[in-house]
Amino acid sequence: MRFMRNRGVGALALALLLSLPLPALAALNIVATTASLGMLANEVGGEQVSVTVLAAPDRDAHYLDARPSFMAALRRADMLLEVGAGLEEGWLPAAQRGAANPAVNSGRETHFVGASILPLRRSITMDGPNVGHVHAEGNPHFNVDPMRMASLGEALARRLARLDPAHAEAYHARAGALAETLREQTRQLAEGVAEQRIVVYHEDLDYLEEWLPVEVVGYLEPAPGIPPSARHLGELVGKLQGTEGRVLYASFQPAKGAEFLQRQLGWPATSVALEPQTPTLEGYLALMRDWVDALDAR
Amino acid sequence: MIKKNVKGTLAGLTTAALIMPTLAMAESGGERDWDIDVSLILEGFYFNEVSSGNQTPAGFSDHDHGHDHGHDHDHSLSDGFNLGHSELVIESRLGDLLDGTLLIGFDEDHIEVEEAYLVTRALPAGFQLKGGKFLSDVGYMNSRHPHDWDFADRPLVNRFLFGDHGLQETGLQASWVAPTRTFTRFGVEVLQGDNGSFNRFMAAGGGHGNGHDHDHGGGHDHGHDHGNGHDHGHDHGGGHDHGHDHGGGHDHGHDHGSGHDHDHDHDHGHGHGGAPYSQQSAPRLFTAFVKTGPDLGPDHALQLGASTGYNRQVSRVEDHGHHAHALEGDAWFAGLDLAYRYDAGRAYGQGDWRVTSEYFHVWRNLDEHVEHGSWEKRESHRERQDGMYLEAVYGVAPRWQAGLRTEALGLTNKVVDFHPTEVESLSTSYRHSAQVTFRPVEPVFLRAQLSQNDFAAAGGERDRGLELMFQVNVALGAHGAHRF
Repeated sequence: MRFMRNRGVGALALALLLSLPLPALAALNIVATTASLGMLANEVGGEQVSVTVLAAPDRDAHYLDARPSFMAALRRADMLLEVGAGLEEGWLPAAQRGAANPAVNSGRETHFVGASILPLRRSITMDGPNVGHVHAEGNPHFNVDPMRMASLGEALARRLARLDPAHAEAYHARAGALAETLREQTRQLAEGVAEQRIVVYHEDLDYLEEWLPVEVVGYLEPAPGIPPSARHLGELVGKLQGTEGRVLYASFQPAKGAEFLQRQLGWPATSVALEPQTPTLEGYLALMRDWVDALDAR
Repeated sequence: MIKKNVKGTLAGLTTAALIMPTLAMAESGGERDWDIDVSLILEGFYFNEVSSGNQTPAGFSDHDHGHDHGHDHDHSLSDGFNLGHSELVIESRLGDLLDGTLLIGFDEDHIEVEEAYLVTRALPAGFQLKGGKFLSDVGYMNSRHPHDWDFADRPLVNRFLFGDHGLQETGLQASWVAPTRTFTRFGVEVLQGDNGSFNRFMAAGGGHGNGHDHDHGGGHDHGHDHGNGHDHGHDHGGGHDHGHDHGGGHDHGHDHGSGHDHDHDHDHGHGHGGAPYSQQSAPRLFTAFVKTGPDLGPDHALQLGASTGYNRQVSRVEDHGHHAHALEGDAWFAGLDLAYRYDAGRAYGQGDWRVTSEYFHVWRNLDEHVEHGSWEKRESHRERQDGMYLEAVYGVAPRWQAGLRTEALGLTNKVVDFHPTEVESLSTSYRHSAQVTFRPVEPVFLRAQLSQNDFAAAGGERDRGLELMFQVNVALGAHGAHRF
């Protein structure tokens, strides 16, 4: 009896031990600041990763609090994906410090910063006076360009392959497939869009110029991070009077300025999402279609 | 938002390093780690005392003896224009290993190293060590700087229990973040204990005096004598010498007239034959805290905290001329704190809520000693005091916030009084404040705040005062991200 009982305890202990996730076998725990980066992590990482996105897709990633749940997520992270170029500067450093997890420290290989890998468009803030946002490294809103996202997916595959060589091939294969789908979709969608001029709220939609035949001719904000003023909107109307175009703004940005332009210029104003509703390829493709649907078709 | 690189200024060093290949190798890749963020927080106030009430809450002034305390708040504002509490902050990283922070606070006539500490970044398993001079992580508001506050002034409970800069001490902190889905952080601190008697007017640390001569002499004498009326025959003249100068003659000139007398008055009790107890060596102050915050989705965020602290020696000596009293013992505090944030998801903070509350309770177990030629131990007493505040701020419009704060100090207010020596129960003091804040651009805010002080005097009489403040606060340079 005694022997049996000991064996029973031993078996139970063994079962418990086996049920514990062993670090080497567990999925790589990736924290992404935005849903677009979460999409890359999910699509490239596949079953080898588990992904947590910090910023809700309908929020402005410039302005978040370093909330306790972010620190808890970063505490358990094996890897951090950041947009960079100052986008998360207001909250991520505090959350990284509060997480007490060296894996998410800036400069580590497990800290992947999109803006330091991709070539960025210039940010208006690089030339303008030092108020509002400052993005000295460039415009951080590259997630609006699917071609750059395709390249970043491939860069992420290279990084994951170094961290987890056992699955290197799978990472490269998935990143290749993702890039192909994104490039194909980009080509197809761009074909359906007419050449046109647009006014956007913030420099966040500038990257549409990179893959669609659109030209950004003005911003509702007088400077990035500074809300539209009557004077600025008046000047914008004066400059664009008698021309045709569209106004786009993000769903979390106030509609007032866009509606003013719509009244004054007759330019249709549409609010669009900036991030996919779900951090998956499907979500991102739906987002691309949303952007295209907000524009004039060819 | 700006990352200022000192690459330029380090270019010379790098050039020098290139001459020595081995050193250059060691430096390569490390250049990025030499980022230094420098920021300057400038603050200005316009202050108007609409009507004047009691200046210090009963039980939290210097033993309520009926000496005239005048405006003895350290960081008191004069009517009219004031340079507020400005800060120079320098933050840097030593690669992956350490973060270093230096914070220098200054106003018109006073400059102080407020924080100078290192925090580890490379310890495994959620551990972190912090060492140097820093603001204790107990409670919520204590570790936050004025620039980060939703009201223009420090909550009463923090100011009167922990001091004009909060619980700001030199020492070590060890903390651990649990690997749980619900954020949970535990921490302990071993601190020098220079300002930890948990009532800023009751000096700590075995007769050291510790510079709690909150003497603001000349010019601020508004004559609010609301005390008990035992004036013990000292010449407090124009100088409010509340200190511990027991007749040895080392009065370090407390009549500066312009505040901030942080003299370390080492003159203890010669006139009365030394202190009646032996002084415990520092560190004397020990704290522990826990903070936890569940994941409530993108709209809501909550952090709850509990903290406690122990100072193994607190004391105060009261010189009545022909005789003297001393109280000596240890002190405890315990507190709860809550911070709730609602993110409405709209631009420029419209519709957002920020609700913060803290409660602290202090116990002091004291032995009384009386001196008539030689010290003689008498009875033991237990003092108890507490305080709390609740504040709520709402984003009324894009870039505009309005908030209300209500505070109570001394809901329990039991302190020792002499002649006869007994624990007196003093009245509660209150303060109610309303503020409106406008942020034209992110690093700038303008604030108007109206505060009604309803402070009790030691005798129990109440007197209300009304204060109006206009605050301008500007953060220049690369100011680091704020904590939750």
